[in-house]
Amino acid sequence: MTPAARVSWGTVLRYLARRLAATVPLVLGTTLVVFVVGRWAPGDPVQVLLGDIGDPVTEARARAKLGLDRPIVEQYLRFLGRLLHGDLGVSYAYPGMPVRRLVGEALGPSLLLGGLAVAAAVVLGVPLGLLAALSPRSALDRLVRALTLTGIAIPFFVVAVGLVLVFSLRLRWLPVSGWGTPIHLVLPVIVLALRPLAYVARITRLALRSVLQEDYVRTARAKGLGPAAVNLRHALRNAAVTIATTAGLTLSLALTGAFVTETIFGVPGMGRATVTAILQRDYPAIQAIVLLYTGLFLALNLLTDLGYALLDPRIRYTT
Amino acid sequence: MTAARALGRWAGGDRVAAASVAVLLLLGGGSALVPMISPHPYDAQRLEETFQGPSRAHWLGTDHLGRDVLTRLAYGGRISFLISGTAVLAHTLIGLVTGLAAGGIGGRTDAVLMRLTDVFLAFPPLLFLILVTGLLGPRIPYIVLALSLVGWAGMARQLRAEALGLRARDFVVAARALGATSSRILGRHVLANVVTLAAVRASLDVGPVILSESTLSFLGIGVQPPLPSWGLMIADGFAHLRTHPRLTLYPSAVLSVAILVLTFVGESLAEALDPRTRPR
Repeated sequence: MTPAARVSWGTVLRYLARRLAATVPLVLGTTLVVFVVGRWAPGDPVQVLLGDIGDPVTEARARAKLGLDRPIVEQYLRFLGRLLHGDLGVSYAYPGMPVRRLVGEALGPSLLLGGLAVAAAVVLGVPLGLLAALSPRSALDRLVRALTLTGIAIPFFVVAVGLVLVFSLRLRWLPVSGWGTPIHLVLPVIVLALRPLAYVARITRLALRSVLQEDYVRTARAKGLGPAAVNLRHALRNAAVTIATTAGLTLSLALTGAFVTETIFGVPGMGRATVTAILQRDYPAIQAIVLLYTGLFLALNLLTDLGYALLDPRIRYTT
Repeated sequence: MTAARALGRWAGGDRVAAASVAVLLLLGGGSALVPMISPHPYDAQRLEETFQGPSRAHWLGTDHLGRDVLTRLAYGGRISFLISGTAVLAHTLIGLVTGLAAGGIGGRTDAVLMRLTDVFLAFPPLLFLILVTGLLGPRIPYIVLALSLVGWAGMARQLRAEALGLRARDFVVAARALGATSSRILGRHVLANVVTLAAVRASLDVGPVILSESTLSFLGIGVQPPLPSWGLMIADGFAHLRTHPRLTLYPSAVLSVAILVLTFVGESLAEALDPRTRPR
């Protein structure tokens, strides 16, 4: 049976169009929030840029060049106008550097770490959850439960500090921080993978427990199919929807984990770019980063909903 | 009264939760009483006594500025609990008012308020926190403000859904049929039932909010020195991780235990207080 064939592509496209249309005011809303907070906040990008020399003529010229001497409403409308043309502006902190390039360069390392972390979480979490579900209340099941609870409750930076202490400082197997060679990926990926791993293992266990009680699994067993065939072909396949969507959503966890992880391990990614941009009052960069993060989050949510609907024929779109 | 009975049953039944409450009382009591029982101020630097190991005078030793670690841990807990408690209280109240207004009044009010929650929910929480405290400056009122702004939207949406559900329930329909005004229905019947749910959610929110506060402090845009915070102490200790790992390990352990027991207590309370799972 191919559930996807049951949904007409016209419906999918109409649903997508409606959801995308709904995200436009949302994205505009987030840029407005950033704008309002930015204007209300103390600290002046011109002063950060020029330092405290205090030459009023130079300051006024820089202010005019950045458009900061205009009324606030006009500044916001100009920003929106440029955004419509796909122009994110030029960084305040690094004159001449287009924000698009600044963010583009930072995105690579973060996506690499996030992607590897989620992949590791799926590769380890699905078998763990599967084994736990097949033998409820066993020692392994308890171990998985303890692991998931720790993964969810213990802060990222505590895990990172512990790993650095053991593997970098005591055993000296891995570098403390840095970027550029595969060995530098190991610790940040472990840290970022822990929470996704906890969620994937937990969801796999839950989804399988509920699928294993369904009628068709009982029927398959009654037909005389071996446990491997029942567990893998019938149960795991049907739990796959839930597991896949959870994995997709944990990518957003791995990406926000970047703020702390990249700071600790010195990764030149989005997390570090964000903190730097905020401390430097680099508003064009901040706006671009917020746009990118909220856009990614909304897209992940949309893909998750779409994945649910496409893979599970019981869900219907309302158009 | 039913809530009180549920609480009583809860205290008797759940051993993990009871142990967690004991640990929480220890942490909370230590944080509350530290100004009275500790002979050391939290910011007294004694540069001739840096990096001391545990002793009779300093039970957990001293840090890189010669300050008493145990005293700073307790003061850090005080600050964390105060910030998180205020933030959770604030976002619960904001969420309660907006959720009730949206679900109870409906119509255009509902539409406007829900679009507003959409905007706040579109931000990744940590990004929003860093943005607000980073731009406004890392002062405690702004940290509380940022934490409250992150929490209220989710709370408002869940309480709105609950209020909408309640409006269709028989006892509300009956009250309306008996001639009760909509403000009386909202204040007496809907509010009373929504408040329990708000309390349940609030108890679940404390742990994550403490985690957020300590993350901000760890990044250097939360609580500022010389005030202690668990996140800040971990960041300070990180610089001396090779030579004096205990300066990092103590606050890490206390923070993790605090979040863990808060999670246990929150989940257990939620189960006991939630009218839908309460045994009849």
